[in-house]
Amino acid sequence: MDPLFDLALRWTHFIAGIIWVGHNYSSVVQRPGWRPLAAADLTDDTSPRFQALLNREHGFFRWASVVAWSAGLLMLWQRGWLAGALTLDGALAPIGLGTWIGTLMMLNVWFVLWPHQQKVLGLVPASVDERLRCSRITHLSSRTNTMLSIPLLFFMAASSHGGLAG
Amino acid sequence: MRHPYDTATGTIALGLLLTAVLAALLPLVAG
Repeated sequence: MDPLFDLALRWTHFIAGIIWVGHNYSSVVQRPGWRPLAAADLTDDTSPRFQALLNREHGFFRWASVVAWSAGLLMLWQRGWLAGALTLDGALAPIGLGTWIGTLMMLNVWFVLWPHQQKVLGLVPASVDERLRCSRITHLSSRTNTMLSIPLLFFMAASSHGGLAG
Repeated sequence: MRHPYDTATGTIALGLLLTAVLAALLPLVAG
């Protein structure tokens, strides 16, 4: 494998991962506690809270999740480690577990968070009650990924720096 | 009763707990 290509992949993995998970961390810092939206937040599209919601929930982090995940898989594949990692084989088990967690997180973004977020933002028609219900689901989905990022980063670090049996 | 995800502390605590559990289990399931 070309070392420069490998370096580029790793760099891409870091940057895309920071854009993706940084989005989750930013949400936790800005809104550490759950604050339910009010119907007025959704029916008045000029409300500061709705505008803030729109500004936060753009497509950047969704596609960053695909880039980070793809670059990670490609690095494993190029080394001939992909199958071993996914089957938690020996010393590849830590990065394999990280891969599975990252995969769950990406599926969560695309198949749980995004369909509900589209309703919250009014991109898909839904009643105000339905949009308010969906805002709770997007909160839980987002925080699930924040929570999962903690073991994800641990196992990514453990795969490169040791410290775990395997 | 609030969900653990409704506070930053609850979210982080769950993440740390899951990390500890998985790190303990990994050597047992690694091939």
